[in-house]
Amino acid sequence: MKWKAIGQSVTGISHAAVGKGCEDAVQYKVVQDTNDDEVLICCVSDGAGSAQYAAWASGFTVKKMMDGLSDAIADAGQITEALIYQIAEQIYDGLNAEAEEKQVELNEFSGTLLGCCLAKESAVFFQVGDGAIVRNDGSGYYIPVWWPHNGEYQNSTAFLIDDRAFGNLNIAIIGERVDEVAIFTDGLQMLTLNTEGRNVHQPFFTGLFRFLGMADDEEKVTVLNRKLHEYLDSSVINARTDDDKTLFLASRLSV
Amino acid sequence: MDEYISFEQIPFGSDNFAENPEPRCPCVLLLDTSGSMGGLPITELNEGVRAFKQELMQDPLAAKRVEVAIVTFGPVTVEADFHTVPNFHPRELDTTGDTPMGAAINMGIEMVARRKKEYKEHGISYYKPWIILITDGAPTDEWSVAAANVREGENAKKFAFFAIGVEGASMDILKHISVRAPLKLKGLMFREFFMWLSASMKMVSSKNPGNAINLLPPSGWSEL
Repeated sequence: MKWKAIGQSVTGISHAAVGKGCEDAVQYKVVQDTNDDEVLICCVSDGAGSAQYAAWASGFTVKKMMDGLSDAIADAGQITEALIYQIAEQIYDGLNAEAEEKQVELNEFSGTLLGCCLAKESAVFFQVGDGAIVRNDGSGYYIPVWWPHNGEYQNSTAFLIDDRAFGNLNIAIIGERVDEVAIFTDGLQMLTLNTEGRNVHQPFFTGLFRFLGMADDEEKVTVLNRKLHEYLDSSVINARTDDDKTLFLASRLSV
Repeated sequence: MDEYISFEQIPFGSDNFAENPEPRCPCVLLLDTSGSMGGLPITELNEGVRAFKQELMQDPLAAKRVEVAIVTFGPVTVEADFHTVPNFHPRELDTTGDTPMGAAINMGIEMVARRKKEYKEHGISYYKPWIILITDGAPTDEWSVAAANVREGENAKKFAFFAIGVEGASMDILKHISVRAPLKLKGLMFREFFMWLSASMKMVSSKNPGNAINLLPPSGWSEL
């Protein structure tokens, strides 16, 4: 079964109110590895609300990571931990160069990074900062790959530019087939994760993945992708969060 | 699939959300109600506190997230414990007594620590608490311990402390107490100050790169 993926970043109402655009970024694509098997890649970044160049930083981060990963999969066929560190360094240096060019502090380019590469029988996940990656554990139950990194305070988290040694970068490489994955930024954390029990709010994802499972052609996936945008921009979501929000969903299951 | 499903019609999108409580943003107002605040200053201060509530009520998320408490001095009295904005009903404040500022500051710091503990026990996430001191005088009690507590708390990122001096305030002592430079209120522009405070609190929910506190420039109400 082929991958079906949808993903949208939508401006939060508090950003819209002050005339700011969306500072989240998401990109995804399916590439062929050296065995001609499909690998799904997705990267998401949440630019920090008060960083001046947040939108630029999140867009740059996502693009660089996507390029680096797709090249490596096409050339070497697999992703290693060392490669992710290497791309992260390139992103850090790119953001730093831009900060010098603009003569502003590097923290004006603060952003998080979340992503995955899902191959035939293995999966790679990486994350700096808040937001979360959720996956089907193989039994239809959704689990977070990591619990979101928040400091003591709600509005403090880790960013890619915090540390060029990337002490906050989590990487997991597992020899396991993963058939469903969701990635979202912290704007949706309140709606999707139960803080008290530290688990994933199952009904949120079972509903969405059911329809993705039912989409059996490209056109239906496109319809769902448009509906995802409408959903993220709807009043039921905006009543609970005023932040930018990104949701990415991918499945290779059919219902 | 046998059954035909029009993808244009499907109810895509869950309305079943995790029942997470809103994250809270606690704010303690330490208000000087000593004798010297009598007359017009206390009237304007009361007006400012009311405007603060009204402004926060305009913002549906701030109304759910910001929690306000008031401590008056002297004598040191917890006028209102932490409540979200709709449940915050400020009473008209009168002036009495002297200026036990040190004790009031310690009380504010204790209240913030206790509130954070309550949040943790209930799995509620929270923003960094703010403690706002407004005075027109100088402490009439021992304040060096309070000053050390403010410094310790700021360094450990336990809270952010702001001192606002009204005409007649000892700005020198405020400088010793507050790690951030104290600001002097222009005339009796309490209303403008509280408008600024509510706007800053609305902004708090956006992320902070590094440890910087998001503050709007204190324009309009402060003397430079």
